[in-house]
Amino acid sequence: MTTTLSKPPSPAKRRLPAPVRRFLGNKLAVIGIVVLVIFAGAALLARQVAPFDPAQIFFADLRAAPSAAHLFGADELGRDIFSRVVYGARVSLSAGLISVTLALVFGGSIGLIAGYIGGWLDDLLMRFVDALLSLPFLVLAIALAAILGPSLQNTMIAIAIVTAPAFARITRGEVLSQRERDYVQAAQALGAGDGRLIVRHLLPNISGALIVQTSLAIANAILAEASLSFLGLGIQPPTPSWGSMLNAARGYLTDAPWMALFPGLAIFLAVLAFNLIGDGLREALDPRGHKS
Amino acid sequence: MRRVHFPVVFLSAALLTSLASAQTLTVGLDADPPKLDPALSTALVDRQVMNQIFDKLVDLDVNLKVIPALATSWKVTNGGLTYTFKLKSGVKFSDGTPLDAAAVKYGLDRNRTLEGSARKNELSSVKEVKVIDAQTVQLSLSQPYGPLLAVLTDRAGMIVSPTAAKKAGSDFQNNPVGSGPFTFVSRVRQDNITLTANKNYWGGAPKIDKLVYRPFPDGDVRYANLLSGAVQAITPVDPKDVSKLAENAKFSVLNYPGIGFQGVWFNVTRAPFNNKNFRQAVAATIDREAIAKSIFYDTVTPAAGPFPPGTAAASSSIKVQKPDIALAKQKLGGKPLTFTLLTSPGSVTIQLAQVYQAMFAQAGITAKIEQVEFGTLLDRADKQDYDALMLGWSGRPDPDGNIYDFFVTDGTNNQAGYSNKTVDSLLAKARAQNAMSARVATYNVALGTIINDTPYTWVYFQRNLVASVKGMVGLKPIPDGILRFKDVDLK
Repeated sequence: MTTTLSKPPSPAKRRLPAPVRRFLGNKLAVIGIVVLVIFAGAALLARQVAPFDPAQIFFADLRAAPSAAHLFGADELGRDIFSRVVYGARVSLSAGLISVTLALVFGGSIGLIAGYIGGWLDDLLMRFVDALLSLPFLVLAIALAAILGPSLQNTMIAIAIVTAPAFARITRGEVLSQRERDYVQAAQALGAGDGRLIVRHLLPNISGALIVQTSLAIANAILAEASLSFLGLGIQPPTPSWGSMLNAARGYLTDAPWMALFPGLAIFLAVLAFNLIGDGLREALDPRGHKS
Repeated sequence: MRRVHFPVVFLSAALLTSLASAQTLTVGLDADPPKLDPALSTALVDRQVMNQIFDKLVDLDVNLKVIPALATSWKVTNGGLTYTFKLKSGVKFSDGTPLDAAAVKYGLDRNRTLEGSARKNELSSVKEVKVIDAQTVQLSLSQPYGPLLAVLTDRAGMIVSPTAAKKAGSDFQNNPVGSGPFTFVSRVRQDNITLTANKNYWGGAPKIDKLVYRPFPDGDVRYANLLSGAVQAITPVDPKDVSKLAENAKFSVLNYPGIGFQGVWFNVTRAPFNNKNFRQAVAATIDREAIAKSIFYDTVTPAAGPFPPGTAAASSSIKVQKPDIALAKQKLGGKPLTFTLLTSPGSVTIQLAQVYQAMFAQAGITAKIEQVEFGTLLDRADKQDYDALMLGWSGRPDPDGNIYDFFVTDGTNNQAGYSNKTVDSLLAKARAQNAMSARVATYNVALGTIINDTPYTWVYFQRNLVASVKGMVGLKPIPDGILRFKDVDLK
């Protein structure tokens, strides 16, 4: 940290806010961003990027090895694995983003209410959150997905429900620590209402912790979606998802290892990218370690 | 001290296992048998175990011919209304109860009348079971029923120990007692069923001492357990693993014809498939040869109807339908067709569903796949709460068992809700005929109408696939797919 401070910052970087500068100085985090941009681009432009329809069956290419025709090989029904991985990015990224956004909104609101109002409401909400947290993440997600029925939408709801308690806990903790600060007291003395106090003063001050948690939660959500799809509880065939591709590949590990390799690699890279970004954000946004 | 003890423990453990494995045969099945009671059983996998525990009046040979078992001979008289069976003498159940005419009467009557018995339909033509003498039993029928002998080669003809059955009541399935080559010892649900050889078996003692069944619903797990040596035989084998096992010098594969069929039901009681043209259009898109080749590695035979080649009613005049997208489009008449295809989870069924979906799409038909657990699938089939569903049949040795209940109005397996007066009267007529040639002719007339109406479209006939260690010998390829272990030996 001292070394970064002693280096004279370049003029371009000098104009950027300090956390952004710190983030861009973190090579691993930048790699995470690059990987994420590639995946997001593939997901958005799947129609242009993928050479084939992901459900198109080629009986002549059953379990074909990777080649020029099929970059990542073909699966047990002769479908192009590259196209399926590209379309699978849509499912995985949207499942990750949407479920975590839902979790952030609901979990964050619960935490905010509990922390700001306090009293018996705090006790009630937090005991409920504790109850949810006491169950293992994946077990609860599987149970919820099984109850709701197999579909992408239900998978996202299930993941949102199991992700929300962590957001509630973090938000409440941050609110509790900020609530008694001088600036809050000052704002109150100046006549700021609850709404203004929360939106203008509290939220900006607790957002750092929530941003970090969000990026880490997305990594977990992508993994959870893949796990649920692997178990047949996610999106239904023939729509490809990395998890369901892995499940289909399970029976062909010795004959056609590429069927498992590429979706597995995609899951690995996507989860790694979000984790690297999360770590980078944590270091960049932590005000204690960096005085500028 | 520890250093000395460990090798000794390992050595003696290894010795014990090698001794035990010389006499114990462990078989991997695809499900845990739900009910080991001939009257209550509804699952195919029950039959695998019950065939070792119970003797039947008659049995099947490899050519599907009915052969003597408990009954040494039989006579059909009175225009097919009276069946007289002569029984083997000196047979005892494993609990010591003698197996005589009274026990046979008890067993058959129990199958006919026990509450919840799934055999009532199969034995509905039987009016009375009479004990003529200790070794003779007579069945009187209310109307001639050609399939009766074939029905008695399965659960309907299994004879339970009256002493044990009376004592246990509905709990009999947890401690079944019969006179078969093996005796029930114990079971742990979802783990194993253990049988021991019946040393006093009337047909000679089995060659193996202990027979253990273990359930592995996942085909890959079943395969892995065979490779690792945890089991010595598995059935069924996933088609993709057949050639790998056949090439492996340590294993052998039995691949022989079955008697069942697989295909797709159409719900004719509601839109869209109350429209016959739509049913015919969907059936016309299916490339049965491609499915047999790509998904099943040619371990199945493309199907034209309910009667597999080699069975009594198979007719060469009924040809396998070739895919015809132009015909399908013509049948659709430019109208859009969208429906839900119901199936149960499983790697092969999911592959098949996706291939169907792609084949339907060639004619512009949109199918959405819905996977539900098998019990739910059967339930929704019975309630006719579906558009189209993938469901097959394990098959019965008599042709009647592959057609009657499926297409007769309100038949128990008529999942389509199909009803056609001509078909009803033809199927009833075939049942009452005694000469097989006459029955076969009647079935094939009925089948012409059924195929044109398309409440069901046949896609393929499954074959029986059994894999075992090379040293396992003596298993007969009987087309009903049930493995009879009496003469099986481990070398």
